[in-house]
Amino acid sequence: MREPNAIDFWRGFALITIFINHIPGNVFERYTFSQYGISDAAELFVFLAGWSIGLATRGRDGQPEPRLITVLRLLARTVEVYRAQITIMALALAMIAGCALYLDNPLILEWHNAGGFFADPIQTMVGVVLLTHQLGFFNILPLYVVLIAIAPAVVLIGRVSRLLLLVLSLSLYGASLVFELNFPAWPGEGDWFFDPLCWQLLLVLGFLSNEATRGSERLQRLWPRLMPLGVVIVAVGVVLAVLELRPDPMLAPEPRLVFTFDKTYLSPARLIHFCGMVLAFQGVYALIAPHVGRLARFLSGLGRNSLAVFSMGSLLSLAGQFVRFQTGGGIFVDISVVGSGLIALGFTAWFVEWRSRRPRPTRKAPDTASPADSPSSSA
Amino acid sequence: MPAAPPAAAVEALDLSLSPECRVPGSKLYTLARLKAVKAALKEKRPIHVLSIGSSSAGLGASASYPVKLENALEQALPDVQIEVEARGLPGEVASGAGERLRSMVAEMEPDLVVWQVGTNDALARVDIEAFGEALDESVQWVKSHGIDIVLIDPVFTESLADDAYYTEMVRTVQDVARREAVPLVHRYAAMRFLSTQRTTEAHMLGRHFRLNDLGLRCMAEHATRAITLSLLQPDAAKDVGKTDPTKADSNKTDAVKTDHATSETTKPDPAQTGTPGSGPTTAPKQP
Repeated sequence: MREPNAIDFWRGFALITIFINHIPGNVFERYTFSQYGISDAAELFVFLAGWSIGLATRGRDGQPEPRLITVLRLLARTVEVYRAQITIMALALAMIAGCALYLDNPLILEWHNAGGFFADPIQTMVGVVLLTHQLGFFNILPLYVVLIAIAPAVVLIGRVSRLLLLVLSLSLYGASLVFELNFPAWPGEGDWFFDPLCWQLLLVLGFLSNEATRGSERLQRLWPRLMPLGVVIVAVGVVLAVLELRPDPMLAPEPRLVFTFDKTYLSPARLIHFCGMVLAFQGVYALIAPHVGRLARFLSGLGRNSLAVFSMGSLLSLAGQFVRFQTGGGIFVDISVVGSGLIALGFTAWFVEWRSRRPRPTRKAPDTASPADSPSSSA
Repeated sequence: MPAAPPAAAVEALDLSLSPECRVPGSKLYTLARLKAVKAALKEKRPIHVLSIGSSSAGLGASASYPVKLENALEQALPDVQIEVEARGLPGEVASGAGERLRSMVAEMEPDLVVWQVGTNDALARVDIEAFGEALDESVQWVKSHGIDIVLIDPVFTESLADDAYYTEMVRTVQDVARREAVPLVHRYAAMRFLSTQRTTEAHMLGRHFRLNDLGLRCMAEHATRAITLSLLQPDAAKDVGKTDPTKADSNKTDAVKTDHATSETTKPDPAQTGTPGSGPTTAPKQP
């Protein structure tokens, strides 16, 4: 188990922010940083994913692991993320349907894009496994599946030339912005909520920041000096967000997406704001960690187990929405919903680590195992 | 509100609708002018409709709402090419969905936006005032770019019939439609009316779900009715300078199929019998 560190800490922070923002209308929402800037926790999550890919594909001594191992490792991770997405989609749809039945309230069936599944299950079931039918709030993991799936290419190209990787990634991003390229939704019309062709840039930037900084003392000295620039960008972001100043997409010149604040296509304004956030807050963890040991341990624990915590968080925030809806909300409901959610997320992280620490029962060789043993061995 | 004439109690059902969807006009819509669609009709170009909302995932099956809307509109406006694009709109109007709406509208530049609004906000129990303001802003924005917009208020379900928050939400959508003088499809009132009708149709999940099914099936027809009747609204006097209103009117009434309900000039159009808080509901001009 890793010690608490900045990456896991911020990842845990992003996970909690996403959890709270996915219970819309709750009172804590206005205290999340997403309300005070142009970018939000989704950017942080993807950037850190890129950063940790760099860490995960090197050995303890910092040397790059063999290429085949890298490819297989990331392939295994892709399968894991895909499996998580399918599982939480099935559970979410069942929660929505069950809730509508239990409360005798068909309104719930129209919850954030779920209506299509219930109105048209034949096509939509196919769309669910193809990741082209996404529920509102359940659209980050499909992006993540695609990003991890292309990560072997990112890592291998990056080992040949970082500049080449950056140029390729920027070109794909630029082309997607200008020509509005995106993955299609199906059977519904429209596109993916998070465009992987644009968001890959953030993964690559996360990966490259880690790779480039590890060997270069010059860069290590440069980043802290850029902090004031980051602070300025963050301050501008706060002003724009609070005053709700943003370009009118109908008036923006072509190519429109370059100028608007668009989440789907990770428009440049969001990207710049996010980079400003990284520069502004890069030193914060080292500064506060000695004083907030418990918090650092808690958030790092969440961050270490981000996939499980994210999946549970998605389902818990959906449950939280139903609780708020049925009870009518209010400060006490919000405190209990968010409070119990945070405890459950902490438990999830602890449970995953407990499960992996637990000594596995030694298995018999398949030919000697009696049929009665097989169910228990599948756990 | 003027005293309801006794006739209103037995107000005729709108016979242009399918039998199971028939609702009196006053429960069905509030009309207002649709300038951009009229202009498109006049120029004889295809009408681009952007259908937005929880049922607008835009599914390929013929059973889905956007496809029905397109069919119903094409039936009501023969010789006019209608292209319906449909999008779900994740998120709440009170917290950012308006931004996504703007991006979609900018991407597609439709002539008409049909927006089924309020479900996600009601489920999140957002602050109603914030919802109303955000909705008003979004509607104003769409109008400011010369695009027509029709609102559809949220679904009626008996489990929420006495929910003060929910009825307030429905009222807020109506208020915004009136303030901004845009047509409104009273999905809530229409379904409430349908819920009182005796029916032999059963549903495996019970009455509420039957009503929901029915409401979805009828919504396209109801929206189409509101749109076609809104197209018959005369232009306001202040527009006279820009276009020749009589010419525009004759043009568009050619295009609008005069169906059963509107062709009976002796019978008052359902729209005229008045809705509480309805917008400018002058009688449609007959050719």
